[in-house]
Amino acid sequence: MSKIICIHSFRGGTGKSNVTANVTTLLAADGQRVGVIDTDIQSPGIHVLFGLDETKMVHSLNDYLWGKCAIRETAHDVTPHLDADIKGRVFLIPCSSKATEIARVLREGYDVGLLKDGFHKLIKDLKLDVLLIDTHPGLNEETLLSIAISDVLAIILRPDQQDYQGTGVTVEVARKLDVPRMVLVVNKTPPVFGFAEVQSRVEKAYNCQVAAVLFHSEEMMVLASGGIFVLRYPDHPLTAALKQVAANLLA
Amino acid sequence: MTEKSAASSQISPSFVLVVDDNEMNRDMLFHLLQAAGHTTFVAENGRQALEMIKEKPFDLVLLDIMMPEMDGYQVLEHLKSDRALRDIPVIVLSALDEIGSVVKCIEMGAEDYLPKPFDPVLLRARIGACLEKKRLRDQEVSYLKDVAHVTSAAAAVERGQFEAEILTGVAKRPDELGQLARVFQRMAREVYAREQSLKQQVQELRIEIDEGRKARQVAEITETDYFQQLRKRAKEFRNRGQKSDK
Repeated sequence: MSKIICIHSFRGGTGKSNVTANVTTLLAADGQRVGVIDTDIQSPGIHVLFGLDETKMVHSLNDYLWGKCAIRETAHDVTPHLDADIKGRVFLIPCSSKATEIARVLREGYDVGLLKDGFHKLIKDLKLDVLLIDTHPGLNEETLLSIAISDVLAIILRPDQQDYQGTGVTVEVARKLDVPRMVLVVNKTPPVFGFAEVQSRVEKAYNCQVAAVLFHSEEMMVLASGGIFVLRYPDHPLTAALKQVAANLLA
Repeated sequence: MTEKSAASSQISPSFVLVVDDNEMNRDMLFHLLQAAGHTTFVAENGRQALEMIKEKPFDLVLLDIMMPEMDGYQVLEHLKSDRALRDIPVIVLSALDEIGSVVKCIEMGAEDYLPKPFDPVLLRARIGACLEKKRLRDQEVSYLKDVAHVTSAAAAVERGQFEAEILTGVAKRPDELGQLARVFQRMAREVYAREQSLKQQVQELRIEIDEGRKARQVAEITETDYFQQLRKRAKEFRNRGQKSDK
Protein backbone atom coordinates (compact mmCIF):
# COMPACT_ATOMS: atom_id res chain seq x y z
CA MET A 1 0.00 0.00 0.00
CA SER A 2 1.47 3.34 -1.03
CA LYS A 3 2.13 6.02 1.49
CA ILE A 4 2.07 9.78 1.18
CA ILE A 5 4.43 11.48 3.59
CA CYS A 6 4.36 15.22 3.99
CA ILE A 7 7.52 16.89 5.33
CA HIS A 8 6.84 20.30 6.71
CA SER A 9 8.25 23.05 8.88
CA PHE A 10 6.48 26.19 9.95
CA ARG A 11 9.54 28.35 9.48
CA GLY A 12 12.29 28.28 6.86
CA GLY A 13 15.88 27.23 7.54
CA THR A 14 15.05 24.12 9.54
CA GLY A 15 16.82 21.85 7.04
CA LYS A 16 13.55 20.42 5.78
CA SER A 17 14.66 19.86 2.17
CA ASN A 18 17.90 18.31 3.37
CA VAL A 19 16.10 15.87 5.67
CA THR A 20 13.60 15.10 2.89
CA ALA A 21 16.35 14.39 0.34
CA ASN A 22 18.24 12.15 2.76
CA VAL A 23 15.17 10.22 3.87
CA THR A 24 14.18 9.80 0.21
CA THR A 25 17.60 8.38 -0.59
CA LEU A 26 17.57 6.02 2.40
CA LEU A 27 14.14 4.67 1.45
CA ALA A 28 15.23 4.16 -2.17
CA ALA A 29 18.48 2.51 -1.08
CA ASP A 30 16.28 0.11 0.85
CA GLY A 31 14.48 -0.86 -2.35
CA GLN A 32 11.49 1.48 -2.30
CA ARG A 33 10.21 3.32 -5.35
CA VAL A 34 10.13 6.83 -3.99
CA GLY A 35 8.68 9.96 -5.50
CA VAL A 36 9.70 13.29 -4.03
CA ILE A 37 7.77 16.35 -5.02
CA ASP A 38 8.86 19.90 -4.39
CA THR A 39 5.78 21.97 -3.67
CA ASP A 40 7.84 24.90 -2.46
CA ILE A 41 6.94 26.80 -5.61
CA GLN A 42 8.09 30.14 -4.21
CA SER A 43 11.56 28.99 -3.19
CA PRO A 44 12.34 25.61 -4.73
CA GLY A 45 15.62 23.91 -3.93
CA ILE A 46 15.53 20.16 -3.41
CA HIS A 47 16.55 19.53 -7.05
CA VAL A 48 19.99 20.99 -6.23
CA LEU A 49 20.55 18.28 -3.61
CA PHE A 50 19.81 15.61 -6.19
CA GLY A 51 22.18 17.22 -8.67
CA LEU A 52 19.43 18.09 -11.15
CA ASP A 53 20.49 21.08 -13.20
CA GLU A 54 17.77 23.62 -14.02
CA THR A 55 18.73 23.40 -17.70
CA LYS A 56 18.19 19.61 -17.63
CA MET A 57 14.66 19.88 -16.27
CA VAL A 58 12.38 18.73 -19.03
CA HIS A 59 9.21 19.73 -17.29
CA SER A 60 8.63 21.10 -13.83
CA LEU A 61 5.64 21.00 -11.53
CA ASN A 62 4.85 24.50 -12.79
CA ASP A 63 4.27 23.14 -16.32
CA TYR A 64 1.80 20.61 -14.93
CA LEU A 65 -0.03 23.28 -12.96
CA TRP A 66 -0.29 25.50 -16.10
CA GLY A 67 -1.69 22.50 -18.00
CA LYS A 68 1.34 22.25 -20.28
CA CYS A 69 2.06 18.60 -19.54
CA ALA A 70 0.95 15.53 -17.63
CA ILE A 71 2.27 15.11 -14.10
CA ARG A 72 4.15 12.01 -15.15
CA GLU A 73 6.23 14.06 -17.58
CA THR A 74 7.53 16.22 -14.72
CA ALA A 75 9.05 13.23 -12.92
CA HIS A 76 12.83 12.94 -13.30
CA ASP A 77 14.48 9.67 -12.43
CA VAL A 78 17.47 11.01 -10.49
CA THR A 79 18.62 7.58 -9.25
CA PRO A 80 21.68 7.57 -11.57
CA HIS A 81 22.67 11.03 -10.26
CA LEU A 82 23.09 9.54 -6.80
CA ASP A 83 25.96 7.43 -8.08
CA ALA A 84 25.37 4.82 -5.39
CA ASP A 85 24.04 1.33 -4.90
CA ILE A 86 20.32 2.14 -4.88
CA LYS A 87 17.98 -0.85 -5.10
CA GLY A 88 14.85 1.25 -5.57
CA ARG A 89 14.24 4.43 -7.59
CA VAL A 90 14.06 8.11 -6.86
CA PHE A 91 11.69 10.17 -9.00
CA LEU A 92 11.97 13.88 -8.44
CA ILE A 93 9.23 16.28 -9.39
CA PRO A 94 11.00 19.64 -9.26
CA CYS A 95 9.67 23.15 -9.22
CA SER A 96 10.99 25.66 -11.66
CA SER A 97 13.55 27.98 -10.15
CA LYS A 98 13.21 30.44 -13.04
CA ALA A 99 12.33 33.86 -11.68
CA THR A 100 9.61 34.42 -14.29
CA GLU A 101 7.91 31.15 -13.41
CA ILE A 102 8.01 31.94 -9.71
CA ALA A 103 6.65 35.43 -10.36
CA ARG A 104 3.82 33.96 -12.41
CA VAL A 105 2.76 31.66 -9.57
CA LEU A 106 2.77 34.54 -7.14
CA ARG A 107 0.86 36.76 -9.58
CA GLU A 108 -1.70 34.39 -11.00
CA GLY A 109 -1.91 31.56 -8.50
CA TYR A 110 -3.03 28.14 -9.70
CA ASP A 111 -5.65 25.53 -9.07
CA VAL A 112 -4.44 23.91 -5.86
CA GLY A 113 -6.84 21.02 -6.48
CA LEU A 114 -4.62 19.96 -9.37
CA LEU A 115 -1.96 19.06 -6.86
CA LYS A 116 -4.15 16.44 -5.22
CA ASP A 117 -4.91 14.76 -8.55
CA GLY A 118 -1.24 15.02 -9.44
CA PHE A 119 -0.12 13.26 -6.26
CA HIS A 120 -2.47 10.35 -6.84
CA LYS A 121 -1.60 10.08 -10.47
CA LEU A 122 2.11 10.02 -9.71
CA ILE A 123 1.67 7.14 -7.29
CA LYS A 124 -0.29 5.21 -9.85
CA ASP A 125 1.76 5.97 -12.97
CA LEU A 126 5.16 5.52 -11.39
CA LYS A 127 4.04 2.64 -9.15
CA LEU A 128 5.41 4.45 -6.14
CA ASP A 129 5.73 2.89 -2.73
CA VAL A 130 6.17 6.25 -1.12
CA LEU A 131 5.54 9.83 -2.15
CA LEU A 132 7.31 12.49 -0.11
CA ILE A 133 6.05 16.03 -0.31
CA ASP A 134 8.56 18.79 0.42
CA THR A 135 6.36 21.73 1.36
CA HIS A 136 6.70 25.49 1.53
CA PRO A 137 7.14 26.85 5.09
CA GLY A 138 4.02 28.34 6.62
CA LEU A 139 0.51 27.03 6.15
CA ASN A 140 -0.68 28.13 2.72
CA GLU A 141 -3.33 26.33 0.70
CA GLU A 142 -1.07 23.83 -1.03
CA THR A 143 0.55 22.91 2.28
CA LEU A 144 -2.83 22.42 3.92
CA LEU A 145 -3.87 20.25 1.00
CA SER A 146 -0.64 18.26 1.23
CA ILE A 147 -1.29 17.67 4.93
CA ALA A 148 -4.94 16.74 4.25
CA ILE A 149 -3.93 14.12 1.73
CA SER A 150 -0.99 12.62 3.64
CA ASP A 151 -0.85 9.44 5.65
CA VAL A 152 2.05 10.73 7.68
CA LEU A 153 3.07 14.25 8.53
CA ALA A 154 6.61 14.94 9.72
CA ILE A 155 7.18 18.37 11.15
CA ILE A 156 10.78 19.56 11.32
CA LEU A 157 11.75 22.07 13.97
CA ARG A 158 14.89 23.37 15.57
CA PRO A 159 15.27 23.57 19.36
CA ASP A 160 14.61 27.29 19.15
CA GLN A 161 11.93 29.43 20.76
CA GLN A 162 11.05 30.87 17.35
CA ASP A 163 10.13 27.42 16.02
CA TYR A 164 8.08 26.30 19.02
CA GLN A 165 5.10 28.58 18.48
CA GLY A 166 4.72 27.84 14.77
CA THR A 167 5.10 24.12 15.36
CA GLY A 168 2.31 24.37 17.92
CA VAL A 169 0.05 25.94 15.29
CA THR A 170 0.95 23.30 12.69
CA VAL A 171 0.31 20.43 15.10
CA GLU A 172 -3.10 21.85 16.02
CA VAL A 173 -4.12 22.46 12.40
CA ALA A 174 -2.93 18.99 11.35
CA ARG A 175 -5.00 17.41 14.13
CA LYS A 176 -8.07 19.16 12.76
CA LEU A 177 -7.29 17.57 9.40
CA ASP A 178 -7.20 14.12 11.08
CA VAL A 179 -3.74 13.21 9.80
CA PRO A 180 -3.44 9.48 10.58
CA ARG A 181 0.13 9.83 11.87
CA MET A 182 2.16 12.79 12.89
CA VAL A 183 5.78 12.89 14.12
CA LEU A 184 8.23 15.62 14.97
CA VAL A 185 11.89 15.74 13.93
CA VAL A 186 14.12 18.06 15.95
CA ASN A 187 16.91 19.18 13.65
CA LYS A 188 20.15 21.17 14.06
CA THR A 189 20.36 20.37 17.77
CA PRO A 190 23.63 21.63 19.29
CA PRO A 191 25.64 18.55 20.43
CA VAL A 192 25.90 20.03 23.95
CA PHE A 193 22.17 19.48 24.43
CA GLY A 194 21.03 16.28 26.08
CA PHE A 195 19.14 14.56 23.28
CA ALA A 196 16.94 12.44 25.51
CA GLU A 197 15.98 15.56 27.41
CA VAL A 198 15.16 17.47 24.22
CA GLN A 199 13.11 14.53 22.96
CA SER A 200 11.10 14.15 26.14
CA ARG A 201 10.41 17.87 26.48
CA VAL A 202 9.33 18.25 22.87
CA GLU A 203 7.11 15.17 23.06
CA LYS A 204 5.50 16.48 26.22
CA ALA A 205 5.00 20.00 24.85
CA TYR A 206 3.18 18.82 21.71
CA ASN A 207 1.87 15.47 22.89
CA CYS A 208 3.38 14.05 19.74
CA GLN A 209 6.06 11.46 19.04
CA VAL A 210 9.58 12.64 18.18
CA ALA A 211 10.99 10.45 15.39
CA ALA A 212 14.55 11.60 16.05
CA VAL A 213 16.64 14.39 17.48
CA LEU A 214 19.20 15.24 14.78
CA PHE A 215 22.27 17.08 15.97
CA HIS A 216 23.97 19.98 14.29
CA SER A 217 26.85 18.60 12.25
CA GLU A 218 29.80 20.51 10.86
CA GLU A 219 30.06 18.02 8.00
CA MET A 220 26.43 18.68 7.07
CA MET A 221 27.07 22.43 7.20
CA VAL A 222 30.07 22.12 4.91
CA LEU A 223 28.34 19.78 2.48
CA ALA A 224 25.26 22.05 2.49
CA SER A 225 23.51 21.47 -0.85
CA GLY A 226 26.57 19.81 -2.36
CA GLY A 227 25.08 16.32 -2.22
CA ILE A 228 23.25 13.73 -0.19
CA PHE A 229 24.75 13.48 3.28
CA VAL A 230 23.88 9.81 3.96
CA LEU A 231 25.70 8.77 0.79
CA ARG A 232 28.73 10.92 1.47
CA TYR A 233 28.96 9.94 5.16
CA PRO A 234 27.46 6.44 5.42
CA ASP A 235 29.01 5.76 8.83
CA HIS A 236 28.33 9.15 10.41
CA PRO A 237 26.14 9.16 13.56
CA LEU A 238 23.87 11.68 11.84
CA THR A 239 23.28 9.13 9.07
CA ALA A 240 22.21 6.62 11.73
CA ALA A 241 19.75 9.18 13.12
CA LEU A 242 18.38 9.88 9.62
CA LYS A 243 17.87 6.13 9.14
CA GLN A 244 15.84 6.22 12.32
CA VAL A 245 13.67 8.95 10.79
CA ALA A 246 13.22 6.98 7.54
CA ALA A 247 12.25 3.82 9.43
CA ASN A 248 9.82 5.75 11.60
CA LEU A 249 8.08 7.38 8.65
CA LEU A 250 7.52 4.03 7.02
CA ALA A 251 6.37 2.31 10.22
CA MET B 1 73.80 22.59 65.15
CA THR B 2 74.68 26.18 64.51
CA GLU B 3 72.66 28.40 62.27
CA LYS B 4 73.67 31.91 61.44
CA SER B 5 71.32 33.72 59.16
CA ALA B 6 72.42 36.72 57.17
CA ALA B 7 68.92 37.50 55.96
CA SER B 8 69.19 41.15 56.93
CA SER B 9 72.06 41.72 54.50
CA GLN B 10 70.64 39.45 51.85
CA ILE B 11 70.96 40.87 48.38
CA SER B 12 70.70 37.57 46.53
CA PRO B 13 68.30 34.70 47.01
CA SER B 14 71.13 32.16 47.27
CA PHE B 15 71.25 29.84 50.29
CA VAL B 16 74.74 28.56 51.03
CA LEU B 17 75.80 25.93 53.55
CA VAL B 18 79.31 25.87 54.97
CA VAL B 19 80.40 22.45 56.32
CA ASP B 20 83.63 22.49 58.32
CA ASP B 21 84.67 21.11 61.72
CA ASN B 22 87.04 24.03 62.25
CA GLU B 23 85.29 26.99 63.85
CA MET B 24 87.71 29.56 62.49
CA ASN B 25 87.21 28.31 58.96
CA ARG B 26 83.44 28.37 59.44
CA ASP B 27 83.47 31.94 60.70
CA MET B 28 85.73 33.16 57.95
CA LEU B 29 83.62 31.55 55.24
CA PHE B 30 80.44 32.77 56.88
CA HIS B 31 81.62 36.39 56.79
CA LEU B 32 82.95 36.09 53.30
CA LEU B 33 79.61 34.73 52.06
CA GLN B 34 77.56 37.16 54.07
CA ALA B 35 79.57 40.04 52.65
CA ALA B 36 78.73 38.72 49.17
CA GLY B 37 75.02 38.91 50.10
CA HIS B 38 74.22 35.20 50.55
CA THR B 39 72.06 33.71 53.26
CA THR B 40 74.55 31.47 54.98
CA PHE B 41 74.22 28.50 57.31
CA VAL B 42 76.98 26.48 58.92
CA ALA B 43 77.36 22.86 59.97
CA GLU B 44 80.12 21.29 62.07
CA ASN B 45 80.19 17.88 60.46
CA GLY B 46 78.76 15.80 57.66
CA ARG B 47 75.85 14.36 59.61
CA GLN B 48 74.63 17.79 60.70
CA ALA B 49 75.09 19.03 57.14
CA LEU B 50 72.88 16.31 55.67
CA GLU B 51 70.13 17.01 58.20
CA MET B 52 70.15 20.71 57.28
CA ILE B 53 70.25 20.03 53.55
CA LYS B 54 67.13 17.86 53.84
CA GLU B 55 65.30 20.73 55.54
CA LYS B 56 66.35 23.69 53.39
CA PRO B 57 66.71 24.16 49.65
CA PHE B 58 70.40 25.10 49.47
CA ASP B 59 71.87 26.56 46.29
CA LEU B 60 75.46 25.66 47.18
CA VAL B 61 77.44 23.62 49.71
CA LEU B 62 81.04 24.43 50.66
CA LEU B 63 82.35 21.13 51.97
CA ASP B 64 85.42 20.19 54.00
CA ILE B 65 86.70 16.63 53.64
CA MET B 66 88.37 15.73 56.90
CA MET B 67 85.66 15.86 59.58
CA PRO B 68 84.61 13.73 62.56
CA GLU B 69 81.40 11.59 62.48
CA MET B 70 80.88 11.84 58.74
CA ASP B 71 83.54 13.06 56.34
CA GLY B 72 83.13 15.04 53.12
CA TYR B 73 83.30 11.98 50.85
CA GLN B 74 80.38 10.40 52.67
CA VAL B 75 78.39 13.62 52.43
CA LEU B 76 79.11 13.77 48.70
CA GLU B 77 78.06 10.14 48.30
CA HIS B 78 74.79 10.74 50.13
CA LEU B 79 73.98 13.87 48.16
CA LYS B 80 74.72 12.42 44.74
CA SER B 81 72.76 9.24 45.38
CA ASP B 82 69.65 11.17 46.41
CA ARG B 83 67.47 12.20 43.46
CA ALA B 84 66.15 15.25 45.25
CA LEU B 85 69.57 16.51 46.33
CA ARG B 86 71.93 15.50 43.54
CA ASP B 87 71.59 18.82 41.70
CA ILE B 88 72.89 20.93 44.60
CA PRO B 89 76.40 22.01 43.58
CA VAL B 90 79.22 21.22 46.00
CA ILE B 91 82.59 22.99 46.16
CA VAL B 92 85.10 20.97 48.14
CA LEU B 93 87.55 22.95 50.26
CA SER B 94 90.25 20.74 51.70
CA ALA B 95 93.72 20.73 53.13
CA LEU B 96 94.23 17.47 51.24
CA ASP B 97 95.79 18.62 48.04
CA GLU B 98 96.85 15.29 46.58
CA ILE B 99 95.62 14.85 43.08
CA GLY B 100 93.95 11.57 44.12
CA SER B 101 91.60 13.32 46.49
CA VAL B 102 90.78 16.01 43.92
CA VAL B 103 90.00 13.40 41.27
CA LYS B 104 87.92 11.36 43.72
CA CYS B 105 85.79 14.36 44.68
CA ILE B 106 85.26 15.47 41.07
CA GLU B 107 84.37 11.91 40.08
CA MET B 108 81.91 11.73 42.94
CA GLY B 109 80.13 14.77 41.49
CA ALA B 110 81.73 17.79 43.18
CA GLU B 111 81.46 20.92 41.09
CA ASP B 112 84.88 22.23 42.08
CA TYR B 113 87.82 21.61 44.39
CA LEU B 114 89.87 24.28 46.14
CA PRO B 115 92.87 23.44 48.34
CA LYS B 116 93.22 25.18 51.68
CA PRO B 117 94.38 27.77 52.32
CA PHE B 118 92.29 29.30 49.58
CA ASP B 119 92.49 32.63 47.89
CA PRO B 120 89.33 34.60 48.83
CA VAL B 121 89.11 36.30 45.44
CA LEU B 122 89.36 33.00 43.63
CA LEU B 123 86.82 31.42 45.99
CA ARG B 124 84.34 34.27 45.41
CA ALA B 125 84.77 33.85 41.66
CA ARG B 126 84.19 30.07 41.88
CA ILE B 127 81.13 30.55 44.11
CA GLY B 128 79.73 33.13 41.68
CA ALA B 129 80.25 30.81 38.70
CA CYS B 130 78.72 27.87 40.56
CA LEU B 131 75.65 29.81 41.62
CA GLU B 132 75.17 31.20 38.11
CA LYS B 133 75.30 27.68 36.70
CA LYS B 134 72.84 26.51 39.33
CA ARG B 135 70.54 29.45 38.53
CA LEU B 136 70.54 28.58 34.82
CA ARG B 137 69.92 24.91 35.60
CA ASP B 138 67.02 25.86 37.93
CA GLN B 139 65.58 28.05 35.19
CA GLU B 140 65.79 25.20 32.71
CA VAL B 141 64.15 22.77 35.12
CA SER B 142 61.38 25.24 35.91
CA TYR B 143 60.87 25.91 32.18
CA LEU B 144 60.60 22.20 31.44
CA LYS B 145 58.18 21.76 34.35
CA ASP B 146 56.02 24.59 33.01
CA VAL B 147 56.12 23.12 29.49
CA ALA B 148 54.90 19.85 31.04
CA HIS B 149 52.09 21.80 32.73
CA VAL B 150 50.97 23.24 29.39
CA THR B 151 51.12 19.88 27.60
CA SER B 152 49.22 18.15 30.39
CA ALA B 153 46.66 20.98 30.28
CA ALA B 154 46.23 20.30 26.55
CA ALA B 155 45.70 16.60 27.29
CA ALA B 156 43.14 17.54 29.96
CA VAL B 157 41.25 19.66 27.40
CA GLU B 158 41.15 16.63 25.11
CA ARG B 159 39.69 14.57 27.94
CA GLY B 160 37.22 17.36 28.73
CA GLN B 161 38.65 17.73 32.24
CA PHE B 162 40.47 21.05 31.94
CA GLU B 163 40.51 23.50 34.80
CA ALA B 164 41.91 26.87 33.71
CA GLU B 165 43.41 27.44 37.19
CA ILE B 166 46.08 24.76 36.73
CA LEU B 167 47.90 27.12 34.33
CA THR B 168 47.84 30.15 36.64
CA GLY B 169 51.49 29.68 37.67
CA VAL B 170 52.79 29.27 34.11
CA ALA B 171 50.65 32.19 32.94
CA LYS B 172 52.62 34.50 35.23
CA ARG B 173 55.84 33.88 33.28
CA PRO B 174 56.94 36.98 31.35
CA ASP B 175 58.24 34.93 28.40
CA GLU B 176 56.60 33.31 25.35
CA LEU B 177 55.64 30.22 27.34
CA GLY B 178 53.75 32.47 29.74
CA GLN B 179 52.01 34.09 26.79
CA LEU B 180 51.10 30.67 25.39
CA ALA B 181 49.67 29.68 28.77
CA ARG B 182 47.69 32.93 29.05
CA VAL B 183 46.23 32.57 25.54
CA PHE B 184 45.47 28.89 26.15
CA GLN B 185 43.88 29.66 29.49
CA ARG B 186 41.76 32.46 28.05
CA MET B 187 40.58 30.35 25.10
CA ALA B 188 39.77 27.39 27.33
CA ARG B 189 37.84 29.69 29.68
CA GLU B 190 35.88 31.13 26.76
CA VAL B 191 35.01 27.69 25.39
CA TYR B 192 34.04 26.55 28.89
CA ALA B 193 31.86 29.63 29.40
CA ARG B 194 30.17 29.05 26.06
CA GLU B 195 29.51 25.41 26.89
CA GLN B 196 28.16 26.36 30.28
CA SER B 197 25.86 28.94 28.75
CA LEU B 198 24.57 26.35 26.25
CA LYS B 199 24.10 23.82 29.05
CA GLN B 200 22.27 26.48 30.99
CA GLN B 201 20.07 27.09 27.97
CA VAL B 202 19.21 23.45 27.64
CA GLN B 203 18.52 23.18 31.32
CA GLU B 204 16.17 26.05 30.85
CA LEU B 205 14.86 24.56 27.63
CA ARG B 206 11.31 25.58 28.14
CA ILE B 207 9.04 25.15 25.24
CA GLU B 208 6.89 28.16 25.73
CA ILE B 209 3.88 28.40 23.54
CA ASP B 210 1.60 31.39 23.79
CA GLU B 211 -1.69 29.49 23.80
CA GLY B 212 -3.84 32.60 23.18
CA ARG B 213 -1.77 33.57 20.18
CA LYS B 214 -1.70 30.00 18.94
CA ALA B 215 -5.51 29.78 19.14
CA ARG B 216 -5.80 32.99 17.10
CA GLN B 217 -3.28 31.73 14.53
CA VAL B 218 -5.05 28.37 14.26
CA ALA B 219 -8.44 30.08 13.95
CA GLU B 220 -7.18 32.33 11.15
CA ILE B 221 -6.44 29.19 9.17
CA THR B 222 -9.19 26.82 10.20
CA GLU B 223 -12.04 29.31 9.95
CA THR B 224 -11.54 29.90 6.24
CA ASP B 225 -13.98 28.29 3.80
CA TYR B 226 -11.08 26.60 2.09
CA PHE B 227 -10.05 24.85 5.29
CA GLN B 228 -13.60 23.83 6.18
CA GLN B 229 -14.02 22.19 2.79
CA LEU B 230 -10.61 20.59 2.98
CA ARG B 231 -11.42 19.19 6.39
CA LYS B 232 -14.63 17.62 5.13
CA ARG B 233 -12.87 16.05 2.21
CA ALA B 234 -9.58 15.03 3.81
CA LYS B 235 -10.75 11.52 4.52
CA GLU B 236 -12.09 11.14 1.02
CA PHE B 237 -8.76 12.39 -0.40
CA ARG B 238 -6.83 9.77 1.49
CA ASN B 239 -9.24 7.00 0.56
CA ARG B 240 -9.13 7.97 -3.06
CA GLY B 241 -5.39 7.78 -2.81
CA GLN B 242 -5.63 4.17 -1.75
CA LYS B 243 -8.17 3.37 -4.47
CA SER B 244 -5.94 4.73 -7.17
CA ASP B 245 -3.24 2.39 -5.91
CA LYS B 246 -5.18 -0.61 -6.89
